[in-house]
Amino acid sequence: MPGEEIFYLSVSELAKRVEAKKLSPVDLTQVYLDRSQKLGPRFNAYAVLTPEIALEQAKAAEKEIQRGHYRGPLHGIPYAAKDLLAVKGLPTTWGAKPYANQIFDYNATVIEHLNRVGAVMIGKASMIELAGGMGYRFASASLQGETKNPWDTTCWTCGSSSGSGAIVAAGLAAFAIGTETWGSIICPSAFCGVSGLRPTYGRVSRYGAMALAPSMDKIGPMARSAEDCARIFAAIAGHDPKDRGTVPIDKGAFTYSPSMELRARPLKIGWLTNAWKSLEPGVAKPVEAATKILKKYFSSLKDVALPVGPWEDAGNIIVAVEGAASFRSLIRSGRVSELTDPLGQIAGYVNEQYSAADYLQALKVREIIQKKMDSLFETFDVIAAAAQPVPATPLTLNLETDLAFPDPLGGIGNICGLPAMSVPCGFTDKNLPVGLQFVGRAGDDFAVIQAGRTFQLHTDWHKKHPKIH
Amino acid sequence: MSNKIDSAISRREFARRAAFASAAASLAPSSLLPPESVAAPWLTQQPANAPKLSPESQAEVESRIQSIFAQYGKRLSDAQKADIRRLATEAQPPLDRLRAFATNNGDGPGLYLKPLMEREKKPSPMPVTPKRANPPKNS
Repeated sequence: MPGEEIFYLSVSELAKRVEAKKLSPVDLTQVYLDRSQKLGPRFNAYAVLTPEIALEQAKAAEKEIQRGHYRGPLHGIPYAAKDLLAVKGLPTTWGAKPYANQIFDYNATVIEHLNRVGAVMIGKASMIELAGGMGYRFASASLQGETKNPWDTTCWTCGSSSGSGAIVAAGLAAFAIGTETWGSIICPSAFCGVSGLRPTYGRVSRYGAMALAPSMDKIGPMARSAEDCARIFAAIAGHDPKDRGTVPIDKGAFTYSPSMELRARPLKIGWLTNAWKSLEPGVAKPVEAATKILKKYFSSLKDVALPVGPWEDAGNIIVAVEGAASFRSLIRSGRVSELTDPLGQIAGYVNEQYSAADYLQALKVREIIQKKMDSLFETFDVIAAAAQPVPATPLTLNLETDLAFPDPLGGIGNICGLPAMSVPCGFTDKNLPVGLQFVGRAGDDFAVIQAGRTFQLHTDWHKKHPKIH
Repeated sequence: MSNKIDSAISRREFARRAAFASAAASLAPSSLLPPESVAAPWLTQQPANAPKLSPESQAEVESRIQSIFAQYGKRLSDAQKADIRRLATEAQPPLDRLRAFATNNGDGPGLYLKPLMEREKKPSPMPVTPKRANPPKNS
C-alpha cells in the first residue's frame, strides 16, 4: 500500500507512477477514499463521498492501463468536484438546503470531460450555499457547515469553493474542481496554500453547473502546482455547444506539455501597486520575498497601476442582478428563508430590484475597463499582486463587518473574464499560507500558468502541506 | 481584525458584494403601501453609520425599501426589515458612483448576444415531388 507521502504528490508525479504501472489506480483511490472518510468530516470538506463511482472508475482505469491504453495524465487520478456540478443520479445540492434533494439525470460537461480522460471522482466538495449568490455573513453559510482550514481548523478556507480548497490542502484527493464568479477560486487557493487557476471566461463549459451570474461564472482547477492546473485545464477546456458562453472552437481548447515552456516567450510582468490598499504584516513579508524571486527570474518586472474607476461597483451590480435572476423563484417563493445565513435570507429581496438601465450602465463600464485592460496587456503579459491581503480568517468572523476592503483586481479580473492563478508564496508567523496572484490577458491562460510554473520551479512553497494526524 | 481597512469602494468578500448590491428601480407609491407600515420604526430609522446621501438618493433608497416591504413585508421579521434598510442604504453610494461615470452614446454594453443561427438546426428535407395545389372548391 502507498505511504503517507502519496497524498501530497502532484498529479504529474502520480501520473508517472500510474503510467509506469508502479501505482495502481484502485489502490490510490482506496487510500484517498479511506483518508477522505476519516478526515473529510473533520474539515467539513465534502458534500458527499462517492466510493461506488470512484472504485468503478478506478477499476476501469486500471484495466485499461494494464491493457496498454493509457489516456493521459489524469487517467486513474482521484479528484473531487464542487457540489454545484451536476453528476447523473447523485444529489447536487448547490450547498443549500432548498436544493438538498436535487438530482440531475445528466453530467455537467466538465464531469464528462474528466470521465473521458479517465479521472476518478471520489466525492463532491462542500461549498458556500449558492456559491454566495444570495450573500453571506458567516463561514457557516453552507448545507455542510463551516469548512475548516487544514492549516488551522479554527480558521476558514474562504469561499465559495471551500471544500475544494480543504480537500487539496489536506491531501484528500489529488485535485479538485472549483468555480469562481468573484474570488471563489483565488481566495480559497490562497487561504489553503494550494494552486488555483481561474480560466478565461468561456474557456470551460458551464453546462450542468449552477448558474449564478452567467456573464461572470467560470470553472477551474485547484491542485498542488501550476503544472497540475495546466494539465487539468487542458482536460476540461474547450468550446461546448451546450454552453453558448463558451468561446469558439479555435480559441477554446488548451493543450499543455512541459516542453511548451522551453519555447515560451520571456514574460513581461507588471507588479501592481494598487491591487490592495495595504497588506497585513504577516502577508507583506512573504509577498515581499516573492517579489524578489520574481525580479530575479523576470528581469523586466516593473511597477504598474490598475486603472481607477467604478469597476467593482459595476461588478457588484452585474452579480446582484444576474444572481437575483438566477434565483428568482427561490426569492419570490420565500424559500430563500431556508438558507443558512441571515444575510442570504434577505439580500435577494434588495438585489432583485435593480433597474435595467443601471445594469446596462454596469455593462457599458465593463466594456470600458475591458479596453483599458487590453491596452495594459500590450505592455505586460501578466500582472501580479498578493492573492489576498490577509491570511485565512477565524471561522467565527463576521465577514460583513470585520473583513472589508476594496478588491479592484478581483473586480476587474472577473468582470473582464481575465485568467488568473494563485500560487503559494510563503507563510505568516502563525503558519497560515499566503498566495501570490498572476492575472493575464483574456485568452492567454498559458501566460499565467507559465508565470506560476516559473515561480514554482524556483520555490517549494507549493510542496508544503499541513501536519494532519 | 487588524486587517480592517476603510472601504469607500466596496467589500472584498464576494458574499458581501452580492448582498450589498441593491436596487434603483420599482418605485412604490406610498398610497399603495399598507398603512401600518408607514409608522413602523424600521421604515424610518436610519442605520448607524449610514452613508451620507443626497436628498434624491435618499428618496430613492426609501422608495426601494418601501417597495420591498410592500411586496415581501409579511414574510420578514422586524430585524430583517432593519437589515434590509441598512443594505439598501449602504448600496446607494456605489450606484451613484456608477451612474456618475461618464459613458458615451456609442459605448456598447459588454454583453453579447449570439443569435441562434439556423446552422444549429438540421435543414428541412426538400419534397421530392412538389405537391399539387388543391383545386379551388368554389370555382
